[in-house]
Amino acid sequence: MNAVGADSSEPPDRFDSLEPAVLGERISDAVSRQLAHLSDEALVALAARSEQTALAELYDRYGRTAYGLALRVLRDQALAEDAVQEAFLTVWRTASRFVPERGKASTWILTLVHRRAVYTVRREQRRRTDSLELAAEPSVEGVEEDAWLRLQRERVQAALRLLPDAQREALELAYYGGFSQSELAERLGQPLGTIKSRMFTGLSRLREQLGEPGTEISWTSTT
Amino acid sequence: MDLHDLTAAYALDALDPDEAEAYERHLGQCEECREQLAELSGTATALAFATVAPAPPARLRESILAAAAAERTNVVPLLRRRWVARGLAVAAAAAACIVVGVIVSLGKSTQTTAYSLVVRNGHATLNISGLSAAPSGKTYEAWVIPASGKAQPAGLFAGGAPATVHLTGTVPPHATVAVTVERAGGVQHPTTEPIYSAPT
Repeated sequence: MNAVGADSSEPPDRFDSLEPAVLGERISDAVSRQLAHLSDEALVALAARSEQTALAELYDRYGRTAYGLALRVLRDQALAEDAVQEAFLTVWRTASRFVPERGKASTWILTLVHRRAVYTVRREQRRRTDSLELAAEPSVEGVEEDAWLRLQRERVQAALRLLPDAQREALELAYYGGFSQSELAERLGQPLGTIKSRMFTGLSRLREQLGEPGTEISWTSTT
Repeated sequence: MDLHDLTAAYALDALDPDEAEAYERHLGQCEECREQLAELSGTATALAFATVAPAPPARLRESILAAAAAERTNVVPLLRRRWVARGLAVAAAAAACIVVGVIVSLGKSTQTTAYSLVVRNGHATLNISGLSAAPSGKTYEAWVIPASGKAQPAGLFAGGAPATVHLTGTVPPHATVAVTVERAGGVQHPTTEPIYSAPT
């Protein structure tokens, strides 16, 4: 029986004679290789059983996107780190209450990150001194990105570009800027009903552009 | 305020706190909104993937995992309960009423115990950390329980420090590995409920 993805270059007798520290490292490598084949939802179920390696694997899948999102909203590294940490700890604390039928695990995790970031940006009132303009999106230059993330980014950006300007603006100011609908109505000088309808229509169109549920963004194993 | 209209704004986290609260109450009663919210939340989350994401500092991962490890204290892993469901270790049944107390007190312990089990070519290694030393006159005993058959003693260890236990004997396919607290010197059949059990 070979319960772990064993490294074939390493004979078993050698494995047994490893120092405990090295062995521990080898074990966590082996566990990680096993977890790499599990769905996000299965990892959440394992996290609910106090399996820390499952939380680590979820972080390895979504930590970067989570951090990028928090940084975009908060524009401050320390605050972004706090938001990501709080969100992942909420995953850890409440994993047993996650219901896969109600949505994907990745949506749940990134929603927690976003909610936390928006809560913080409003608390800090950082934007009060800023204009309504969003900070420029960070440049792609010098950022090493894996192929999957780049593909997703290009796909969502392309779908956003197809929206009418007013709808795209409403979505971006709300999601990346952390502005509430009533703040947007006030600052854009539009009736609240107009803002609501831009958000709803924009989000619905974006959904159509991004395709049917079967082609939604989800993590796929690259191994 | 028509609450049905707030689904998109809620999915974007663009409601003020009192509106969000009212909407959440409404969600409990409106199946249509729940379905629509599930869809629109997925789409809103897609916006997270549209940002250029620099790699977070490595310390963030460490910090999250350390905080998670320190926090998970009063949860009884389901694996412990499964032992009961599988009706293993007939000998332990007699001690079952005592056992419940043991599990509860373990559950409330402030210490986090981590086990990892690796089985390779029929040989199992169990790494344990955060397990307090066995009480005076007691020892921890590891067991290998074949899918059908009796638990086989697989080694003794004292706890109190991180330990690597090479289980004696071979582990047949689909066996369960378990740890119980036994009298010093070990026993041939488990007499207490396992503090840990894991399928292989």
